[in-house]
Amino acid sequence: MMRLLFNILIDIFAILFLPFLMAGIIKKTKSFWSGRKGASIFQPLYDFIKLIKKHLVISKTTTAVFSLAPIISIAGVFTASLFVPLISGSAFWNLPGGLIVFAYMLGLVKFFSLIGAMDTGSSFEGMGASREACFTTIVEPAFFIIIASIMALSGIYSFESLSKLVLASGSYGILIAIFAALALFLMVLIEGCRVPVDDPATHLELTMIHEVMILDNSGHDLALITWASSIKMLLISSLIAKIIIPDGTILYPLYYLITIFIISMIIGTVESSMARIRMSRIFEFIFIMSSLALIVLSLCGVGMFEGLGG
Amino acid sequence: MTGYFIGIIILLISAVLVFLPILGITTADANIVKTLEFSPAFGQVNFAIDPLSKFFILIILIMGIISIIYAKGYLKPYIDKGKGINSHILFFVTLVLSMLAVVTCQNAFMFLICWEIMSLSSFFLVIFENENKEILKAGIQYLVFMHISMLFIMAAFIILSIKSGSYDFQSFAAVLQNNPELSNIVFLLAFIGFGIKAGFVPFHNWLPSAHPAAPSHVSALMSGVMIKTGIYGILRMLTLIQTPTKLMCYMVLIISAITFLYGILYAVSQNDIKKMLAYSSIENIGIIGAGIGIGMIGLYYNNFAVAFIGFAGGILHTLNHSIFKELLFFTAGNIYTKTHTRKMELLGGLAKSMPKSAGLFLIGAAAICGLPPFNGFVSEILIYYGMLKGLAIGNFFNFIILMFVFSGLAFVGTMAILCFTKAYSTIFLGASRNEISAREECSPSMIVPMTVLSVFILIIGIFPESIFKNIIMQPVLSLIDIEHHIKVFHPAEPVLMTVSVCTTALLVLLLIFLLLKSKLAKGKITLQNTWGCGYNRPNNRMQYTGSSYVSPFLSMLKPLFKKIFDIKKPKNLFPNEGHFSLKIEDIEEAYILHPVLKFDEWFLSKFEKLQNGNLQTYIKYGLIFLAFAIIGSVLL
Repeated sequence: MMRLLFNILIDIFAILFLPFLMAGIIKKTKSFWSGRKGASIFQPLYDFIKLIKKHLVISKTTTAVFSLAPIISIAGVFTASLFVPLISGSAFWNLPGGLIVFAYMLGLVKFFSLIGAMDTGSSFEGMGASREACFTTIVEPAFFIIIASIMALSGIYSFESLSKLVLASGSYGILIAIFAALALFLMVLIEGCRVPVDDPATHLELTMIHEVMILDNSGHDLALITWASSIKMLLISSLIAKIIIPDGTILYPLYYLITIFIISMIIGTVESSMARIRMSRIFEFIFIMSSLALIVLSLCGVGMFEGLGG
Repeated sequence: MTGYFIGIIILLISAVLVFLPILGITTADANIVKTLEFSPAFGQVNFAIDPLSKFFILIILIMGIISIIYAKGYLKPYIDKGKGINSHILFFVTLVLSMLAVVTCQNAFMFLICWEIMSLSSFFLVIFENENKEILKAGIQYLVFMHISMLFIMAAFIILSIKSGSYDFQSFAAVLQNNPELSNIVFLLAFIGFGIKAGFVPFHNWLPSAHPAAPSHVSALMSGVMIKTGIYGILRMLTLIQTPTKLMCYMVLIISAITFLYGILYAVSQNDIKKMLAYSSIENIGIIGAGIGIGMIGLYYNNFAVAFIGFAGGILHTLNHSIFKELLFFTAGNIYTKTHTRKMELLGGLAKSMPKSAGLFLIGAAAICGLPPFNGFVSEILIYYGMLKGLAIGNFFNFIILMFVFSGLAFVGTMAILCFTKAYSTIFLGASRNEISAREECSPSMIVPMTVLSVFILIIGIFPESIFKNIIMQPVLSLIDIEHHIKVFHPAEPVLMTVSVCTTALLVLLLIFLLLKSKLAKGKITLQNTWGCGYNRPNNRMQYTGSSYVSPFLSMLKPLFKKIFDIKKPKNLFPNEGHFSLKIEDIEEAYILHPVLKFDEWFLSKFEKLQNGNLQTYIKYGLIFLAFAIIGSVLL
C-alpha cells in the first residue's frame, strides 16, 4: 500500500515537473554547445508561472474552440499519461489497449490544437496546422507498428510489454530494443517539434510548424499548450526508458531520471549540431522512422514464428 | 404537408408494431418466425427476426424516424416554392419499410424483390430535384450500379437454390456447410453484390455521385442505414456459411483495408462537403469490413476471443457510423439550406451565425475520427484490439497482413483527423470567405433530431459496457458458433473497461481544467485582430483554404490522384482577371471505369447500323431470326 502511494506520488511529481526540467536541460545543453552560460534549468518553469499570471489577448475572429483547445490539450495528455509507465516503472492503469488509448488521446489533442489554430483565420497558423497534420499521418502508423510488434512478441497488450524485450528475448531482444528506441527517439523529435524537423527558436513564421500554430495564444492558454507539448515529449521518452531499462529493478526511478536526462542532452546536442531540414524534405526524415518501424516489425515477426526469440 | 404527416404516422405505427415483439428477443437463439404463403412460385416465405435482424431493425427504424423528422425543416423551402413532396415522402416510407423487409426476409426470391423495391425507392429519392440534369445523371448511375449489384446477388442465390432445391435461407445453410469450394464461389458473388451496395472499393463509384445529388435527409438515410444492408447481407451469408475459408477471410480483410485507405484519401481531397462525407462513408464501410474480417479470421483459426472482438467491433461500428454519419449529413443539409452551396471553400466563419450546427458538426467530426470520449472510439479500439490479439495466432503471413491492416487503420485515423479538421475549419472557423454566408441558425425542427443523435454519440462513448451488453452482444454471438457461448465474462470486457476508465478520466480532467481556467480567466481579456505578422490589412480571402490545408499531404501522395487544374493567371501591369480551380478525380473511375465504358460504347456503336429505320430490314431480321430458331430447334 505504501509502495503504491509512493509510486503515485513520484508519478505525479514526474508529470508536473519533469516536462519543464526536460525543456530546461535541452536549453542548457544548447547554451553549453554554443559556449554560453545559459539560463537555469528551471527557467521553463519560471516562464510557465509568468505566463499563468499574464492576462489574455484573444483574436476577434475566434470562437469557443480557440479557448477550449488548450484545456483539451492538457486534459488529453494527462489522460494519456495514466496509461504510460512513468518514473515508478508501471503505468497508473495497466490496461490492455493502452497503446490505442495513448495514441487516440494524442489524436484528440492534435485535433483540437489544429482547429484551435485554424480558428484564428490566419494563413500563417493555417500553414503550421497543415504541416503538423500532414507529418502526424506518417508518424502514427510507424508508432503503431513498433508498439504492436513488440506487444505481439511478448503477448502482453499494455505498455508493460516494452520492458520484456531486453531480458526475456536475449541478444535478439536487444537488437529489437535498439531499433525501437531509435525510432521512438525520432518520434520525440518529430512530435516535440525539435530540430531537424522544426526549430522552436526560429523567428520566421513561414518556416515554423508548431510555434506558428500558437501565434495567437497568450497568457495561461499559451502556458497550458507549452506544458502539454512538453508532457507529450516526456511521455514518448518514458516509452524509450521503459524499453531500455531492464525489467524489475528497484532502482527504476533512478535509471528513469538518468535516461530522461540523457535523452534531453541528446536532443540539445542534435539541436546544436544540425540545421533544420528543408521543409520539402522533412518527409524523407520522417520516413526514416517508418523504415525503422518496418525493421522492428520484421524482427518481431521472425522472432515469433521462426523461434529466434528464445 | 398532409403527406408528410401521414408518412410519419406510418413509420411510427410500424415502429411500434416491430418494437413490441423484438423486445422479447433477449438471447442469441430466440427467433421470431412468421411464415406467409404467397403464390406457388415463392413457396413458403419465412420472415424471421433473429438477433442480427433485430440489431439492423433498431438502426433502420430509429434512424428512419429521425431522418423523416429532420426532413420537415429541410423540405420547407421546397414546399414554399410549390414543389410537391407527397411522392417523395411515399418513397421515403417505402424505403424504410423495404429495408425492414430485407433484413427480416428468409426467402431468397422474396429477398430479391424487397431488395429491388429498396433500390428503386431510393432511386426516386435521389432524383428529388430532377429538373437538374446532373442529379438525374447521378440517379441513373446509381440505378445501374444497384442492378449490377442485384445481378451478382441473384447469381449467388440461383446457384444456392439449384443446389438446395428451395429458396429458403435455412436450406442454403445445409448446402453451404462442409462444401468449401461452393461456399467460396457463392461468398465471392454475394460479397461483390452486397459490396456494391455497401460501397466497398472498387465498387464504390455510385456513392460519391449519388450522395451529393440526393437531399440531405435522404443521403443521411442512405449513407447511415441503406448501405448497411450490404453489411447485413455479408453477415447473413456468414451465418449461413458458419466457418469461413481462408480465402474469404483474407479477401474481406484486404478489400476492407483498401476500401478504408482509398475512401479517406479521397475524402481528404474533396471540397464538396457531401462528396467528402460520401467518401468518408466508404472509409467507414472499410473499417466495418475490417472488423468483420478480423472476426472471420478468428473463426477460421478457432480463436473465440479474436472472433468475438472483431465482430463486436464491426457491428458496433455499423451502429456508430449510422449515428454520426446521419448527424454529419444533417449538418451538411443545414449549411445547404442556409447558404445554398456545398462547396467548402466558399464558406467560412459559419460558427458565429450557426453556433448549434457548428457544435453538432464538431461532435460528429470528433466521433467519426474515433476520438474519445465519443462513440467512434469504442468501436475502433475494439477493432484495433481484435487485430492486436490476432497478430499472434496463425502464421507469419497472418502476422504481416494484420499488421498492414493495423497500421493502415492508424494511418486512416490520422487522415480522418486531417480530413475533418479541414472540413470544420474551412466551413465554420475563421472569417467568411464570400458574401453568401448564413445569417441565422436553422429551425428547431432540424436542430432537435440532430441533438438526439449527438446524445446517442455521447451515451455510447461514455457508457460502452451497457450498450454493448444490450445491443451488440447477441448479434455477435449469433455469428459465432453456439457451443462457444460465454455467458458471464466476454473477451471484450477488458477493452470496454479501458474505454470507460479513460473517458471518465478525460472528462474529470476536462472539468478540473475548465474550472481552473474560469478562475484564471477572471483577469482582463483583450480582444484584438489576428496577428498578421506585422501586416495590418488582412482580408478574408487571404485565409488558408481547405485545398491549401491539405496540399502538403496530397503532394506527398501525388500518384494516387488525378488532378485537373484550370488556371488563368493574372497578366499585365493591372491584372483584372484570373481564376484557379482544382478538381480531383477518382483514379479508379478515371483509369478503370471510364476506359471500360469507352470500350463498351465503341463496341456497341458497331451495331448502330442495324437500326436504320427501314421496315423491310426489320422484317428481314425477323425472318433471319425465325430461320435460326427453326434450324436450331431441329438440330438440337
